Amino acid sequence: MNSLTLGGQPYYLPLKDEISLFESAYEAKLPILLKGPTGCGKTRFVEHMTWQLYQGKSEIPEVPLVTVSCHEDLTATDMVGRYLLKGDETVWSDGPLTRAVRTGAICYLDEIVEARKDTTVLIHSLTDHRRILPIDKTGELVPAHDEFLLVISYNPGYQSVLKDLKPSTRQRFVSLEFDYPSVELETTIIAHEAQIEADGAERLAVIGERVRNLKQHGFEEGVSTRLLIYAGQLMARDIDPRRAAEAAIISAVSDDKTVQQAVADIVDVILP
Amino acid sequence: MQQLADIEETLSLFTEGIAGKYLHIKASDEFVSRLGLTLDLLGSGQTQDTIFLPNELNAPSSASYRFLVMEQIGQRECGTFQFRFEQALDRIEALRAIYTPPRDLTPRTGDYYLLFGCFPKPSLASEIFFLLEKARVIGHLLRRYPGLKRHIEVYFEHVGRDSYPTQDPLENAKNHLQGNDCDPQWAPLYKAMDELKQGEKTVYDCAHRLCDVYTLVESHFVSSDSLAFEEEGEQLGDWLNREQRLEEWEEDMEKVESALFSFDQFEGDEVEAELSENAGGSVREEDLDIKSLEESKDQLKRRIDMERSSIQHAMGPDQSISRSFRYDEWDYTSRSYLRHWCRVFEEPLVAADEEDIDELNQVIRDYRPLVQRQLEQIRPTGLQRVKRVQDGDELDLNAIIEARQDLRAGQSPDERFYSRKERMHRDVCAVFLVDLSASTDDPIEKVEPVPLTEEEKEMIDNLRDPWDAITADQLDEEEPKRKIIDVQREAMVVMASALDALGDSYGIYGFSGYGKDCVELFVAKEPNDKFTTSTLRSIASMSPKRSTRMGPAIRHGVTKLTQSGQAMKILIILSDGFPQDCDYGPERGNHDYGVEDTAKALEEAERKGIETFCITVDRSGHDYLKRMCPNGRYMVIEEMNDLPDQLTKLYTLLTNR
Repeated sequence: MNSLTLGGQPYYLPLKDEISLFESAYEAKLPILLKGPTGCGKTRFVEHMTWQLYQGKSEIPEVPLVTVSCHEDLTATDMVGRYLLKGDETVWSDGPLTRAVRTGAICYLDEIVEARKDTTVLIHSLTDHRRILPIDKTGELVPAHDEFLLVISYNPGYQSVLKDLKPSTRQRFVSLEFDYPSVELETTIIAHEAQIEADGAERLAVIGERVRNLKQHGFEEGVSTRLLIYAGQLMARDIDPRRAAEAAIISAVSDDKTVQQAVADIVDVILP
Repeated sequence: MQQLADIEETLSLFTEGIAGKYLHIKASDEFVSRLGLTLDLLGSGQTQDTIFLPNELNAPSSASYRFLVMEQIGQRECGTFQFRFEQALDRIEALRAIYTPPRDLTPRTGDYYLLFGCFPKPSLASEIFFLLEKARVIGHLLRRYPGLKRHIEVYFEHVGRDSYPTQDPLENAKNHLQGNDCDPQWAPLYKAMDELKQGEKTVYDCAHRLCDVYTLVESHFVSSDSLAFEEEGEQLGDWLNREQRLEEWEEDMEKVESALFSFDQFEGDEVEAELSENAGGSVREEDLDIKSLEESKDQLKRRIDMERSSIQHAMGPDQSISRSFRYDEWDYTSRSYLRHWCRVFEEPLVAADEEDIDELNQVIRDYRPLVQRQLEQIRPTGLQRVKRVQDGDELDLNAIIEARQDLRAGQSPDERFYSRKERMHRDVCAVFLVDLSASTDDPIEKVEPVPLTEEEKEMIDNLRDPWDAITADQLDEEEPKRKIIDVQREAMVVMASALDALGDSYGIYGFSGYGKDCVELFVAKEPNDKFTTSTLRSIASMSPKRSTRMGPAIRHGVTKLTQSGQAMKILIILSDGFPQDCDYGPERGNHDYGVEDTAKALEEAERKGIETFCITVDRSGHDYLKRMCPNGRYMVIEEMNDLPDQLTKLYTLLTNR
């Protein structure tokens, strides 16, 4: 779990109309669902939007963006809170979700399908007109702060079908679909983030495009923009482009030797 | 010397990545054309869904194979097969000057056929053109894939070692392309190639250069009779171009159809009212349009159908929906593996929507109670509460009390005082291979003549009595016989629904084929697919096909299981007889070869930690199954109807070890 206080504006290059949609949803207090593959910029987008939305406000919660990265052992308790043993007593401690609900922060649940099923049910009452969070262990009904916004992300077609989002959950959200950017946009993003020349950035973007053609084989996702940026950052620090690609892309996408070799071959013909 | 078999798998992935779609990688000797089309001298070339490469390549490294692949993909990227003769005529004046429409011109005449037909020696024109095109493609590749430069240079240097001084302009042009010394008399040809290599040029630029240099090159072949250029018949390039054109026609067809559709919509509402007002008037313009549209649609449809069948005749059937893999085969006569011997085509079982699944649903309903009882024995209890953990959703009361006691006693308490629920996982993947050989079409029970009792004879006599005619009819009207395939399908459906409830991942595949280059594996369900009605439909559409080459099917099943990453892997084969295929062994009647290869494939699977099991309905199966299956892992089912039940028991047994 991490948080973000307002610093500099996080860089984000819009692909479509996602910024205006997010702003309108925020105004209308509608929860938002971000769909898209790993490393395509969902988290960065939320950070960017948080910065933009809280920018002009006089009152900013201590932690404006609460991010919870969900994993398969994450239970409702981890989000809502639990009793802790403190000296001679057991005391209640709010979880990240409860804290966000009380203070009016943006709560971002990353990869929600990874979490246990009880967590998805938990957010139902928060995401309709009631906007309350029931805490059954303390018997409390916490009404959401006016500024509170719930954003979740999920990755369709990732993992098994068992980890699909239930329609009853999915239909409570305004959905924004993300995908990897086109070669041109990705070039701009890589060039900016890694601070490298457009030429090198374009080569990396083309590698990304081609390697993603292979995503059925041994790796569900293809190579993410994030990995391409890592490779760019290594290149910017005078690492040989081939070595940088090997470390950041080839070894990272798959453990299957054949797939790795094929990706290495693709990188080999594209890099000068 | 480089071997294709060594790098085929990687090369296939590489090709898919670069091209953006799956293409079969095949050895050039697998290229079969009924029109006698040939690949280029090296043995590389392509059809719409395949890239052909030589089995062996005289090259310093395997990267040279990648260059050959890139050359083929480069042709696609450069639009080599999007050449349209009409456009060439529009753009190139020199071509207009020499073009006379051939007598046999039809809308289906190939564009390259027309282009090369403009020249006195069409085959020579084609050679020159594709050489120029090669220069253009290499130029494109060097710009787009700079990493390829080293490999091209190394390869050309290697190939260039064998070059010798010659007068032949085409040989010289090849040498020039490879950066070697050439005879200066063909300088204009080299210049044309260099120009095409630079900057973005189109296929029409290439046709233009062909017009420029043709006469010069031809002069060499005209001056000496001994060098007369041999005329070839059909050209592979022309057919590839026609294939591409077919796609364009199909797009046109869609446009015409959508235009007709919008007319229909329009007509539906307002126009009809208008028409009735003007009844008796002359034919309106819209009607004429519709009529001509419909005519052109019919015409186009006929043309597309004819062209498609000619293309399939020329270049073989369209296999773009399948993927293919090559596997070794065990040759017991020489006690060695035949490398990359069999090609397995994996294709989805496409089920028609109307496929009847009511019967199969009924089967599921009938067997469910029984099967569930069986599987309950292995089903883990789902979520279980684990106590005394460091982190969890509830405090563990006992642990808390102890911790408090410790604190009071002045000792440091155990920090593990939470409890949490944990899911018990089953880490199993099962693959079912269902034999879809032609013999599965046989009825289950062979009708054996039973001697009649006196009583029965009397009954038959009675039947001849016209008053008993109804009974006689009833006797004739036998129930349709249940076939082996029916029971196989039912067993698979019962298994699928049971495993779905259990949460294990499982794949269902049918296999058949004919010959070593065409082993077919039909996918009804992949391990990661959900069990839905479309899975049921796919299973329902399993039908008897051709032969039973078990070895490659098993090897492919093993690949699937290894890829699944699950800890426990199970392979179950359902068959109705011994393995056999047209070229499965030195002689057709002898089944030893097939049995030995299958035994070897099963042995390989066991070595990879896969539990295998063969189930057969062949009552005479004991003798060969004993040889084929390791440690007696087989079962001969006497009563076909027991199959679903037996299968569940077996599964329980296998996964509960």
